[in-house]
Amino acid sequence: MARMVPLQQQTTHPGFSLLTSSLSDFNGARLHSQLQFKRKMGLQNRGALQVSASSSSKNILIMGGTRFIGIFLSRLLVKEGHQVTLFTRGKAPIAQQLPGESDQDFADFSSKILHLKGDRKDSDFVKTSLSAKGFNVVYDINGREAVEVEPIIEALPNLEQFVYCSSAGVYLKSDLLPHSEVDAVDPKSRHKGKLETESFLESTGVNWTSIRPVYIYGPLNYNPVEEWFFHRLKAGRPIPIPNSGIQMTQLGHVKDLAKAFITVLGNEKASKEVFNISGEKYVTFDGLARACAKAGGFPEPELVHYNPKEYDFGKKKAFPFRDQHFFASIDKAKHVLGWKPEFDLVEGLTDSYELDFGRGTFRKEADFSTDDIILGKSLVTA
Amino acid sequence: MAASLSSPLTSASSVLFSSSNYPSLPSFSPSQRLCFSHSALSSSYSVSPALFTFPSPRLSATAAVSFSVRAATASGEKKKVLIVNTNSGGHSIIGFYFAKELLGSGHNVTILTVGEEGSDKMKKPPFNRFSEIVSAGGRTVWGDPPEIGKVLAGETFDVVLDNNGKDLDAVRPVADWAKETGAKQFLFISSAGIYLPTEEPPHVEGDAVKGSAGHVGVEKYMAETFSNWASFRPQYMIGSGNNKDCEEWFFDRIVRNRPVPIPGSGMQLTNISHAKDLSSMLTLAVEKPEAASGNIFNSVSERAVTLDGMAKLCAKAAGLPVEIVHYDPKAIGVDAKKAFPFRNMHFYAEPRAAKEILGWQGTTNLPEDLKERFEEYVKIGRDKKTMAFELDDKILEALKVPAAV
Repeated sequence: MARMVPLQQQTTHPGFSLLTSSLSDFNGARLHSQLQFKRKMGLQNRGALQVSASSSSKNILIMGGTRFIGIFLSRLLVKEGHQVTLFTRGKAPIAQQLPGESDQDFADFSSKILHLKGDRKDSDFVKTSLSAKGFNVVYDINGREAVEVEPIIEALPNLEQFVYCSSAGVYLKSDLLPHSEVDAVDPKSRHKGKLETESFLESTGVNWTSIRPVYIYGPLNYNPVEEWFFHRLKAGRPIPIPNSGIQMTQLGHVKDLAKAFITVLGNEKASKEVFNISGEKYVTFDGLARACAKAGGFPEPELVHYNPKEYDFGKKKAFPFRDQHFFASIDKAKHVLGWKPEFDLVEGLTDSYELDFGRGTFRKEADFSTDDIILGKSLVTA
Repeated sequence: MAASLSSPLTSASSVLFSSSNYPSLPSFSPSQRLCFSHSALSSSYSVSPALFTFPSPRLSATAAVSFSVRAATASGEKKKVLIVNTNSGGHSIIGFYFAKELLGSGHNVTILTVGEEGSDKMKKPPFNRFSEIVSAGGRTVWGDPPEIGKVLAGETFDVVLDNNGKDLDAVRPVADWAKETGAKQFLFISSAGIYLPTEEPPHVEGDAVKGSAGHVGVEKYMAETFSNWASFRPQYMIGSGNNKDCEEWFFDRIVRNRPVPIPGSGMQLTNISHAKDLSSMLTLAVEKPEAASGNIFNSVSERAVTLDGMAKLCAKAAGLPVEIVHYDPKAIGVDAKKAFPFRNMHFYAEPRAAKEILGWQGTTNLPEDLKERFEEYVKIGRDKKTMAFELDDKILEALKVPAAV
């Protein structure tokens, strides 16, 4: 497959990629794109990041930021020279050293990252604390409902940009795919809060951008996406997959997503626009199982297909993906923003494995109870 | 591994930015991300496709590429185009729509159909509608590709499209003659069927293809022979004038109240495009030859559809209910290729190169297009035609499903 080789592949260090995609429009005169270009050249030497005098350092607030996307996004923003504050309840440490992150980089980051401690559901607190700080830009990574965004908008009348992490889950299920930003959305979906937030933002007149990821993966993922497969592969267990296994889904690496979030910062082409952000290619459930095996250096797994209707799993989820086709076109982001994913699927899963599961870390303990129900029955009927 | 094509580095379109150059020229670069010269790809600089501002769907495709550098080659010039067209099969319709679209844009068109004007094949669509090409100012001739020098003695064309050959033996006479007579641009209708199956759809330009496929041989020969060439890889098509059944297969069953047997899960994704998406893509390539040069274009619409989805859309277009029945062809002992008109697997390509390089946008709208198709289906009386459904019956029998819903 002909593909651009991501810069980080040229070193053996599995660490965090500082690549920013080049933003350019034809005239190339925009300050921001020039900054990106200079930085990109500087990035050949990892860590030797120079922030040119022409950069405009912004006062940025991230709602959340200590769990997954925000961990990578905040680092990119700090590296770009912005002042970055994380609004969290303080349950998790504000800065934790990433696997593969050098002591030097971590020390730099943790010395610069700021914390605003609070509960975003306390709208009075949100309003007063935010207006006191006067942030230029807000990245809302963990917002689910429109009401959570109201006090932010009220608190910051001069807000330059509000970037929202929405979800491709808002799209109405369709037989015609991929989902594109212009497609019908489902006002009854599980993600309707995201939709309502997007509509709310539109109604306020603020300069908003909405990012709709599909399934996100990468080191430190707290959603058991790749982890679900890795547990089974490590245990040498067959992988139970519902129905045909040809359902098509799409994974996007968290680092590519973080880069997309950076790419929209101060970008007028992103103003009041929605962008699907995920990987270049889609993958079938069966293909994903095999890709995870490749990534972790496991032998090709045995796949067991089953009819979910024949089982009662109680409240447990037997499989981490929606049992349907679910994928979105990233053409708009590629064409309008000049962003593109650096990781292809196996590369990205390998990155996740080498920095996380492969080091013995994971978020959820293995739970094979639903597998055993399936495998037990399928052995009987075989 | 990847049987990818190298675009000749000397061609104008192969200017890839070395990592020390900021892309100040808007010209031909983004194509290189999809074009396969390995040395060009060693540059780690990510070429920004944002050079071509992606229009909102409301803007026209030509508005998307609004650079003055392009003006000389963009739609101003009228071309003399030769279409060498197959005389049967699913691709027949491509030449028909392409001819009409070119004529509509003021170009000069000759369509050379393989075989004889008087043959029985010419009684079927689109050939029985070639008068439409003539009345639009086009010329229709007949002959065999090895005789092309005789059939078109003394003629020269700016652009030659081979929409006939499936391998080099069939295309070579046309290609060689085009080269000898100084054609500036050579285009070929290949097939998305040459992509190697993948677990990571969709097929995108640059993905590995089956080395043994005849079309691949043609693509390689074109790249060696012409400085300006492009290859178009289509899938399934609908449209008035189609030579091969597509949606009709579903309509036949739906109007007769018969179940629609679909092999496998019905979740297989495929691409069914209106023929005008292909003609618009080809026309853009003719009008933007430098941009198109050295490229492969998946000639498909912007959306894929599942097999079940297609059945449902056909039923909706007909205003009738549908019962879909799934079966395992092997278990029943039926050849799925004979029993069903589409591949029993994901067969899904996306038109990324055309969108990015030509600024092309698709207009296929299956729900709407199928309504038109159904109207014509009824108009020609096909809904009343007596038909046998032997293979269907065999399948339904094996599944113990009644033939009439």
